Amino acid sequence: MTGLTIAIAFAASCVTFACPLLLASLGETVVERGGILNLGIEGAMLIGAFSGFLGAYFTGVLWVGLLTAMIGGIASVLLFGVLVVRFNLDQVVSGLAINLLASGVALYFLRVAFPGGGYPHLNFLFQPFAVPLLSQIPVVGPIVFNQPGFFYLAIVLVPIVFYLIYRTTFGLRLRSVGEDPRIASYVGINVSRIRYTSLVLEGALVGLAGAFVTLSQFNTFDTRLTTGLGFIAVSIVILGRWNPAGALIGSLIFGSTEALSFWGTAFLTGPQASSLAQLLTILPYVTTLVALVVGGRMSKGPSALGAPYAKE
Amino acid sequence: MPLFNFFLVESTAKNQPIGDSMAVEDTVKEDKTQVSVSMANPNYAIYVEGITKTYSNGLVANNNVTFGVLKGEVHALLGENGAGKTTLMKILSGCLSPDTGSIFVDGKKVHIDDAMKAVKLGIGMVHQHLSLIPSFTVTENVALSIPLPGRLKLDIIREKIIAVSKNLGLEIDPDTKIEQLPVGLRQRVEIIRLLCQDVNILVLDEPTSVLTPLEVDELFRIVRGLKEKGKSVIIITHKVKEALAVSDRITIMRLGKVVRTLNASNTNERELASLVVEGFVPSTNGTKGQPGELALIVKGLNVKGNSGRLAVKGVDFLVRSGEILGIAGVAGNGQKELVEALTGLRKTESGTSIMKCCNLANRPPQFIIKKGVSYITEDKMKRGVILNLSISDNLALKCIEQEPYSKNMIVNQRKVESRAQDLIKRFDIKASDPCANVSSLSGGNIQKLMVARELSNGSILIIAEQPTAGLDVKASEAIHTKLLELRAKGVAVLLFSADLDEIVKLSDRIAVMYDGRIVGEFLSGSLDMQRLAKMMLGSTT
Repeated sequence: MTGLTIAIAFAASCVTFACPLLLASLGETVVERGGILNLGIEGAMLIGAFSGFLGAYFTGVLWVGLLTAMIGGIASVLLFGVLVVRFNLDQVVSGLAINLLASGVALYFLRVAFPGGGYPHLNFLFQPFAVPLLSQIPVVGPIVFNQPGFFYLAIVLVPIVFYLIYRTTFGLRLRSVGEDPRIASYVGINVSRIRYTSLVLEGALVGLAGAFVTLSQFNTFDTRLTTGLGFIAVSIVILGRWNPAGALIGSLIFGSTEALSFWGTAFLTGPQASSLAQLLTILPYVTTLVALVVGGRMSKGPSALGAPYAKE
Repeated sequence: MPLFNFFLVESTAKNQPIGDSMAVEDTVKEDKTQVSVSMANPNYAIYVEGITKTYSNGLVANNNVTFGVLKGEVHALLGENGAGKTTLMKILSGCLSPDTGSIFVDGKKVHIDDAMKAVKLGIGMVHQHLSLIPSFTVTENVALSIPLPGRLKLDIIREKIIAVSKNLGLEIDPDTKIEQLPVGLRQRVEIIRLLCQDVNILVLDEPTSVLTPLEVDELFRIVRGLKEKGKSVIIITHKVKEALAVSDRITIMRLGKVVRTLNASNTNERELASLVVEGFVPSTNGTKGQPGELALIVKGLNVKGNSGRLAVKGVDFLVRSGEILGIAGVAGNGQKELVEALTGLRKTESGTSIMKCCNLANRPPQFIIKKGVSYITEDKMKRGVILNLSISDNLALKCIEQEPYSKNMIVNQRKVESRAQDLIKRFDIKASDPCANVSSLSGGNIQKLMVARELSNGSILIIAEQPTAGLDVKASEAIHTKLLELRAKGVAVLLFSADLDEIVKLSDRIAVMYDGRIVGEFLSGSLDMQRLAKMMLGSTT
């Protein structure tokens, strides 16, 4: 392999790793615009990955897996939604509780579904799709236009989510609920309905992000596969200033660190390899901290983000 | 009365011939003091009957309220704080649902489940705390309440705003962000928003409480304009003068009940005042203190606001012991930052605030408290009390380190409690048990509690920020008396209030704050209200 081929392969991998982050952070951008900080996205992504895997494994049809992943994602996010919207519980604590619940549930059903132990594998995956003509462009083609369908979907979603937030009545209401739910309710907006709608949307996107991991990126399921992706998506939202375009940029940055740590673990050799590889796996989290310190300080989010709101 | 109401319901329910309802009208007319009300009268834009609302904490805010507003009239709903006015109006505008009672709009019985429904029926409310999103533009805020699904059609909304504002002569730039507008204009945006929704009945909740006198005049001009266009306007107020100045009819509420509805032309201030507060005699204005030595000298104080820009710009003033210096001004002209700098809650950029030869600027709050400065804060819930501590602990917060309340770092609980009981009695705090959490008290009683703590610790300077906010007339009067008493004892008082009447009533001198500067000073004896009002708005002439 020449240096250029390696560089291109690495860049393509960065884009691939960015894909679940982009899907999830777009979803999180929507709910945070409505004033909800969903840290349970980590657990929701795990459930999405798991339910997607189960669906595909037992029916043998990938598209069914996609559907079950979205259902799993929506179910987990809605459970979180009931806690924070219906019962007005603390959003951070509820999110963390969902995460703990999700890993417990996933492990349990993994053992129920596969009592023999070990990790089941899929024999089929969503393969990268080479876009005719465009994938022939040198350098750019193999990096951007030879990706799984998830990636093209995520890219198309960026302007769609942008339009939804800034150019539709729903978006205006969503933003008003995120700025001040009390005022929004005074002008006749059903705060709960808006928030549930945004949560369903996030659930579907996060489910897809999870499905990407188990149905395209890897062909197996392990509770560790999605670890950290949800939290990283939350920091991408902050770094991207609650803007879908910002989420795209943030996802590419974090996708690169993920890819770096993945490649490092796979290709490093020598006596220090294992410790170096471990060091690389913390790279995304170090980047997260740096991003939060830099990005979190200069950006102002929705005023009511994370604040409890009970209808009068 | 309940029987009578029942009869009225019957009469429309059966849709009886005119002869019978005439008989009803006649019975009403016999009661000369009461303006006749009947939902059968098609001139009523809205009519409510037998409304009762009990809050979850057991407070009966509305008790069998019956009340009607004619088409094209300005109707004042007059009463002290806690009389149930706002609750009633929130029920009309769909923000609260009543326990019992019926609402009739244009003679038809309706159920108002939420604010959207109310607006569809033509009822809209301008809340006391304005319900606009500060970071949105005027157009976006109006668009929020106009349900056009799908794509956001801001152009259509903008045109509508311009049309409505031209029709009434209310100028507004549709693309300004709300946070850049003064309060008076924000209120105007709210009114325009309701008109864009084709509302026929506008409810204004205490609209004048945040306005300067000139802005009040402007508001009343707008209200009269609305009336000319055939709209009904309900103004909630606790100020008798305002009710008389702007309305056609006045309904007085007391303790959750309607006392009476009167024609504004047939009544006077004295009668209204006695109806609002049974047997209340207002005290006289403008008592004089005996200023003594200098208590606080503030010189060249510069303080930055949250935005990083200077909010207080080179402020100089002094307060003598035994006098009250009132600081008048529209909220947001640096008063908050000034208070925070004086109390040690905010860093000062430069300048001094000297008390007894000691500069208090940039000293920690504890130091300033120990020097003898008391602080009655505007934000009582966040800064005045600790909600989840008991009443007695809250009252002891500032003296807990002193004997006899503690010794060798051990608290003498009995002394703390007996002090609490004493203050509860002296300040008429309605509390069942001094060990109960402060969160169990009503807002007014929390205010009294904070005032009790701040006024009872032998300070030499009291900084009072909206000391009577949220209190009814009697409780306000008690706090005013207490402040005047302390002044007589030689305490210096620095009074910040949005209520100009309060400032005029208590102060020996009045300084006007505008855009971070003290722009003028008046002696209470030689007060020119017009000039004062103009100065508050930044006019120099």
